[in-house]
Amino acid sequence: MAEPLNIQERTGFGLATVMARKGVTAAMISQALGVAAPDGPAWTAGGGLTLMGSGPGAWLALSESEPAAHAQRLREQLGPLASVSDQSGGYVILRIAGPGARTLLQRGAAIDLHPAAFAPGAVATTVIGHIGVILRQLDETPAYELALFRSYAASFGHWLDAARAAL
Amino acid sequence: MSRLAKGGLIDRTAPLAFSFDGRQLRGFAGDSLASALIANDVRLVGRSFKYHRRRGILTAGAEEPNALVTLGGGARAEPNTRATTTELFDGLKATSQNRWPSLALDVMAVNQLAGPLLAAGFYYKTFMWPAALWEKLYEPLIRRAAGLGRLSGLPDPDSYDREHGFCELLVIGAGPAGLMAALTAGRAGLQVIVADEDHRLGGRLLGERQLLDDAPAVDWVGAAAAELSTLPNVRLLTRTSVFGVYDGEYAAVERLTDHLPAPPPGQPRQRLWKIVARRSVLAAGAIERPLVFGGNDRPGVMMAGAVSAYLNRFAAAPGRRAVVFTCTDSGWSTAKDLLDAGVEVAAVVDSRSHPPAAAKAMAARGVPVHLAAVVADVFGAPMRSVEVRTQAGRTFRVAADLLAMSGGWNPAIGLGGNLGARPAWSQELETFLLDAAPPGLAAAGAAAGRFGLAAALADGARQALLAMADLGRASATAPPPRAVDEPASVSPLWYVKPRRTKAFVDFQHDVTTSDVSLAAQEGFVSVEHLKRYTTLGMATDQGKTSQLNGHALLAAATGASVAEAGVVLSRPPYTPVAIGVLAGHHRDEHFRPERRTASHAWAAERGASFVDAGQWKRAQWYGSGDWQAIVNAEVAATRSGVGICDVSTLGKIEVQGPDAVTLLDRLYINTFSTLPVGRARYGVMLREDGFVMDDGTTARFADDRFFVTTTTVNAARVMQHIDYCRQVIWPELDVQASSVTEQWATYAVAGPRSRELLQGLLPDLDLADAAFPYMAAAEILWAKAPARLFRLSFCGELAYEISAPASRGEALVRALFDVGRELGVVPYGTEALGVMRIEKGHPAGAELNGQTTAADLGLGRMMSKKKDFIGRVMAQRPGLTDPHRPTLVGLKPVDGRQRLRAGAHLLAAGAAPVAANDEGYVTSQAYSPTLGHPVALALLARGAQRHGERIVVHDPLRGGDVAAEVCHPVFVDPQGERLRG
Repeated sequence: MAEPLNIQERTGFGLATVMARKGVTAAMISQALGVAAPDGPAWTAGGGLTLMGSGPGAWLALSESEPAAHAQRLREQLGPLASVSDQSGGYVILRIAGPGARTLLQRGAAIDLHPAAFAPGAVATTVIGHIGVILRQLDETPAYELALFRSYAASFGHWLDAARAAL
Repeated sequence: MSRLAKGGLIDRTAPLAFSFDGRQLRGFAGDSLASALIANDVRLVGRSFKYHRRRGILTAGAEEPNALVTLGGGARAEPNTRATTTELFDGLKATSQNRWPSLALDVMAVNQLAGPLLAAGFYYKTFMWPAALWEKLYEPLIRRAAGLGRLSGLPDPDSYDREHGFCELLVIGAGPAGLMAALTAGRAGLQVIVADEDHRLGGRLLGERQLLDDAPAVDWVGAAAAELSTLPNVRLLTRTSVFGVYDGEYAAVERLTDHLPAPPPGQPRQRLWKIVARRSVLAAGAIERPLVFGGNDRPGVMMAGAVSAYLNRFAAAPGRRAVVFTCTDSGWSTAKDLLDAGVEVAAVVDSRSHPPAAAKAMAARGVPVHLAAVVADVFGAPMRSVEVRTQAGRTFRVAADLLAMSGGWNPAIGLGGNLGARPAWSQELETFLLDAAPPGLAAAGAAAGRFGLAAALADGARQALLAMADLGRASATAPPPRAVDEPASVSPLWYVKPRRTKAFVDFQHDVTTSDVSLAAQEGFVSVEHLKRYTTLGMATDQGKTSQLNGHALLAAATGASVAEAGVVLSRPPYTPVAIGVLAGHHRDEHFRPERRTASHAWAAERGASFVDAGQWKRAQWYGSGDWQAIVNAEVAATRSGVGICDVSTLGKIEVQGPDAVTLLDRLYINTFSTLPVGRARYGVMLREDGFVMDDGTTARFADDRFFVTTTTVNAARVMQHIDYCRQVIWPELDVQASSVTEQWATYAVAGPRSRELLQGLLPDLDLADAAFPYMAAAEILWAKAPARLFRLSFCGELAYEISAPASRGEALVRALFDVGRELGVVPYGTEALGVMRIEKGHPAGAELNGQTTAADLGLGRMMSKKKDFIGRVMAQRPGLTDPHRPTLVGLKPVDGRQRLRAGAHLLAAGAAPVAANDEGYVTSQAYSPTLGHPVALALLARGAQRHGERIVVHDPLRGGDVAAEVCHPVFVDPQGERLRG
């Protein structure tokens, strides 16, 4: 049997907020970035870039590498289509995977994580242990990834340790 | 031992040792604490709340009012635990409550003699005067004498978890109706959660002897439980009490380890469930009503249904010779259960005059049957005999040690009233039923008044099918097992008159029939008033056994019907819940999450004390010892050399887009359209009502890209304000805003040697004043990665702020100190920061307090007359432009020594210290190491014109008036020469 829970912190990533300017559609963003920009709470990936829908006309753009140049490159690709803010230092990203992952997260997040309601490809902006998180499901392991503000990492770690011990 | 030789759902191969009040006793796996006590002939288990009367076990369920014990000891002592719902485990230790020195001999029982003094409302009448003695004398005395168990007072050693459940159908209670509902919905593939407070499914079927499909009902229960546990779409939660219905969700507590001596290491004791259910079936069964007659609270008097449960489920006989007192058919079933278990039945007393079907069989077995008769009194505690009174008035005594009483059944609909829906009276069933209910909830089975077994099974299935139809789900039928509806006729007997001795209505709060009469007599004629005046139903059991009897008595006293008297609503929690489970993992220092800046670990290494700023932990000063001396040294070193302070907690917002500048011009009182790229500007924003909302600097990095900063406390509020403005007020503007507070770790590098330090860190940049002047801002590279540099000063010295992504923030502060070591760089905390800003007269939180205008703070000239901005119109209101308004001034003590305390009020010299003469107050104060004396900022009426005047700083709370001189609020370098150097 697989490890019930595998938790890893992602490092060396680039992250930025992308907000469409007035009249700019998700399709136009998709074209400029070469990745389909989801028009809702979902994520898509391509060419090392992941776009997570985080609100109407807003995405978190994650790159596997190059944190330093990420925001600037997006700004150049998008030009007048969107406003870009570098967030590469502002978030901690954790990958939580394994047969126990769904139960663990269901003990934190007050949203339905049943596969019928939240499947690979889904994104949610929610709260765990009074801390805001952006949650997405990566695959059917199940594996999830959650991003939270860096300043909360220690408090989130307390919740994670306690919830993990109770699993 | 009163353990029956055979039968019951106990495991005789698994003996368990436990203790009650130090006595070593034995029971079996499957026992409840109550059944094990009964099996050990323990009849006296507690003392009552007010009169300290001897009490025994009354029920076999969660409604138990009497058998409350303290479980365990030390920090794990759990007071007021119902013995009836406590699973027995090896080593269980229970202690009786509310008695001294022992259960058998309780000196407080003398309260019974003072009964007339302790009647309903006694504390409103008896202890009114003198009022001062209430808190000091009466209340502590009453609380010690009256009451339930005591808390340990020690920190809870256990942990508590939480989970969120989502389902299409929530089934509350797994008796016959609940199991049928769960099977019906479960087989159809619905997402189902079944919650039952017992450790074993089955509800009443465990305690009764019906047949299902011609076999013992527990066989069917076992098969149903087995099937449900194999369905992946059904989640079974045993030991789980649904305790509240809230808007859109249910709350439940799952007891994970209460049946063990202690939780295994790391394991939580209980788990709080928040359950979102599209539909729910309330299949919580029914609660049997006690009969109200003299001495009905004496140990040995027990609910008939409970007697059956102890006999059938636990193989424990609560007595050797029993009398059954009933007005229902179900009482006769108990009589049969007693006989079948080998207990002598001395009499069946039924207040009804028509013999029920069971009467003939009973008489045939030689049991004396008394129809149209009542039990009028009980003798002995524990009971030894009862007095029976016939319709003709003849009385006689019957020796017995057990009285099984049955007053009818109340559907357990408490949860259904949680959102305010009033139950409705059913004339047919003579009880209250759910009428309106919380959205999506329907009662089923006995909880819906369908007391017969076949009817309850069918109703459970029917309610599930209705829910499925509602949800548009295909239905698959689960045929109920064959069952018969046992006779369930009732003619309520609300009370027995006359009485010689006290007849109890609310056992847990010691409310008697006389208390109810007294309440009615004194005008408390609504059920809500009755509740509060007599405390009926206000104990930990919320009157589950007493409420309706009390209302019926009130109805009789006021000449109304029970339907007219109405019923009070149950509130969450339906059964008591440990506070710990509501707190979950969030207790002690984890009560709320904390936010740490990137330099936190570094600051902790340097001995920083941290202070809370909202959720943030900020370094207050560095090092241990006399904090004032440390702060003085931090200020002196910064003003004479260079100091570094983590200012990352300030709110940071990127405002971008073609219309960003338009938005900023409307948000701030001053103008940003004139701000060149590469420069920063201080700005003030008002609320719509004209008062100051926040301040901060904004830098422009491109024509369409601004970097706004806010105060730490207002970061979220300003972000909301900006989003509101751009989304709601001016949606036509093409402007985007994004919080980047977390992205940037920012350090203020301040002091005359700050340029040297930064030049060392950033050798490729030209930091000369000409190239990077005061209020310059630039996006730079540090260590080959994006960083930002600003020339801003809060402390009044030559100063910079440098930012790096927070992931590199710790590396940045370490690099700054490596470079600055030879310059003697010091870290300074929020205290030194505060001292220096007071010395410079900068308004901060204490001045931006929501009651000050820009003009009050000396910033009135910033208000642009060339444009509109939020708050402009309202800031012109007469009250806000009154020249007599208190405005920002500096204060220094005339003697140069005395502290000026924040919050102290300002009086003109010689003015009497009365509110009418109040001219303002001190907002901020500090000892200025730069000047060598205390300084303060204050808001003083007409302050700007009063520099040089001597006033009185009046502090009646902390004592002492201090003579102070009014001065300009900028104490240090008023020309601002240092920061431009």
